[in-house]
Amino acid sequence: MDKQIALDIYKKIILSRRLEERVAELIKAGQVGGFMHPGVGQEALQCAAIAALRKDDYLLYAHRGVAYWVARGIPLDKVLCDLACKEGGTNHGKGGVMRVVYPELGVLGESGTLGGCFPIASGAGLSIKVKGEDRVVLCFFGDGTSNRGTFHESANFCAVRKLPVVFLCENNGWAVSMPTERSTAVKDIADRAKGYAMPGEVVDGNDVEQVYKAVSEAIARARHGAGPSLVEAKTYRLWGHWIGDPDSYRSREEVEKQWRRDPIPIYEKKLGDEKILTEAIKQEVEADARAQIDRAVEFMQKQPFPKPESALEDLYA
Amino acid sequence: MRTISYAQAIKEAIEEEMRRDPTVILYGEDVANFGGIFRITSGLKEQFGEQRVFDTPISENAFVGAGVGAALTGLRPIVELQFADFLFTAGDEIVLKAGMWRYGHGGAYQVPLVVRCPSGAAGVGPEHGQCPESFFMHAPGLRIVCPATAADAKGLLKSAIRDNNPVLYFEHKLLYATKGEVPEGADYLVPLGKASVRRQGDALTLVAISAMVPKAMAAAERLASEGHHIEVIDPRSLNPFDRPAIIESVKKTGKIVVAEESYKTLGVGAEIGAMLMEQALEYLDRPLKRVAIPDVPIPTSPVLEKFVIPSEESIYAACRELLN
Ligand SMILES: Cc1ncc(C[n+]2csc(CCOP(=O)(O)OP(=O)(O)O)c2C)c(N)n1
Ligand SMILES: [Mg+2]
Repeated sequence: MDKQIALDIYKKIILSRRLEERVAELIKAGQVGGFMHPGVGQEALQCAAIAALRKDDYLLYAHRGVAYWVARGIPLDKVLCDLACKEGGTNHGKGGVMRVVYPELGVLGESGTLGGCFPIASGAGLSIKVKGEDRVVLCFFGDGTSNRGTFHESANFCAVRKLPVVFLCENNGWAVSMPTERSTAVKDIADRAKGYAMPGEVVDGNDVEQVYKAVSEAIARARHGAGPSLVEAKTYRLWGHWIGDPDSYRSREEVEKQWRRDPIPIYEKKLGDEKILTEAIKQEVEADARAQIDRAVEFMQKQPFPKPESALEDLYA
Repeated sequence: MRTISYAQAIKEAIEEEMRRDPTVILYGEDVANFGGIFRITSGLKEQFGEQRVFDTPISENAFVGAGVGAALTGLRPIVELQFADFLFTAGDEIVLKAGMWRYGHGGAYQVPLVVRCPSGAAGVGPEHGQCPESFFMHAPGLRIVCPATAADAKGLLKSAIRDNNPVLYFEHKLLYATKGEVPEGADYLVPLGKASVRRQGDALTLVAISAMVPKAMAAAERLASEGHHIEVIDPRSLNPFDRPAIIESVKKTGKIVVAEESYKTLGVGAEIGAMLMEQALEYLDRPLKRVAIPDVPIPTSPVLEKFVIPSEESIYAACRELLN
């Protein structure tokens, strides 16, 4: 893996984790509404996968945390304004936490119903194919969401039409209180790729390099006309389903054990061994993340709420 | 002027718009190789190629939602459902995605999508015979179009394809074979949101939707021979909805009957009734009357179907009651 890419991914992971921590404080302080689903523990795979995209590719992210937006390079002040449902963000209080959108970077937005992403991703793939472009679509979703019918319809639709879509499943072991093994008949969700004659691959989602490699290969296949792929990244949701989740459905031992697989120290050790990351760089990255977040929070706090009557705008083009 | 069928008018609209704009594509089940189960689109694949006209698997959620995704990214898809009833199959994609994507994302994107929906009772029973327009009239963000004549079928479809919003285009199965004069020329458009006064009169306002229009016209003809001049209004689109046209007519006539092929409760007639209560109550000298399906699914037997679907006779009878 290219050293600069490896370091860039590291910076995004740290920025995401620190932002998530700050957002949790803002939620507890009542400055950001509920409904935020933290992505702590999954940032490594999210940042690694998005790093494999080109600037003009399309992205449908999932509901799990802030890292998708950070990794794609959406300005933090805009993200924070959306989270706080204020002006100055990307959706003017219409979509809040769930619908950060950024057409300039191919960020198509988010479906509030889980699994709504798959048909939309297929349609973006269809556009690319009809227009003869060489872009791709990256579509994130959870293990629980893989049981929506839309996944199966869309996987088949993309496969028969050879659409350039990469399906990336973040298998974090849980869908709210439902463990994956009780919701999902197959052990590996990637096995479902067989039913749609597309490549399916399982990777360790807490290993940046594995994710980057698998997603890059899937993207390359899509870009060259070979159609869709399914990548399953095994990971774990280290925090609750939402901020304030009593998290009573899983044992503390299980969660403790998973903290020992926190992708951040794992990646830091790896980058340290490869002499990419030094203590000095680490401190610089942390300081830079803090400064960026402080600036964005300050910007957000000064922004006004949308005018009430603007609720009537933005419906029809 | 030349006379063509409603079905031919639909095909002509698609053909002209596909020729005019390379971003228009057409797909659905059996539309390409077979020309659609109602044979509206035969020959289009040969004309425009398999990239732009193609058959899909039986996956209504995937392909309707893909229409939204393709519309977000620069195409103008025309998606054919085999029956309007399947809008419910793709309910999430229609109501929550097509209708709300733009709004939920603060206007960042537009969704120029057309979903063609063959509607109407035709001996096909509860799940293939509905006119479900009013369900979707309730949903924000959608445009609802329901042409009753060949000329409107063409002009409204062309406008729908050029519109930058999601449009549900309801084509009534029993109207496909009806013929009418249709202007030639690729620039013939009928704007969305403009009602047509099909017949002028001052005795009573008769609002009729889709296949109810020819029945209403026949009933009005009969009433004219009895000395009652009925004003027949065809809204042509239910969103946008030409409310002023109805209110103006009621101010003149003081009486109104609404004929529609949907369930009576919360149908289009209910919305018109509420609107008149709010805006024109003082002009009404008789209560509003609705001629609609009596809140049961559409039965398959011709005998039963005939009993529940509004007819020329039931529309005539409703008008008579108000005129007496
Ligand atoms: C269609 C639909 N059903 C249910 C929900 C409510 N919901 C939001 S997140 C969630 C769990 C999703 O689990 P998974 O796909 O594994 O993703 P994770 O939350 O674990 O990241 C549920 C049930 C929803 N938003 N949409
Ligand atoms: Mg999960």
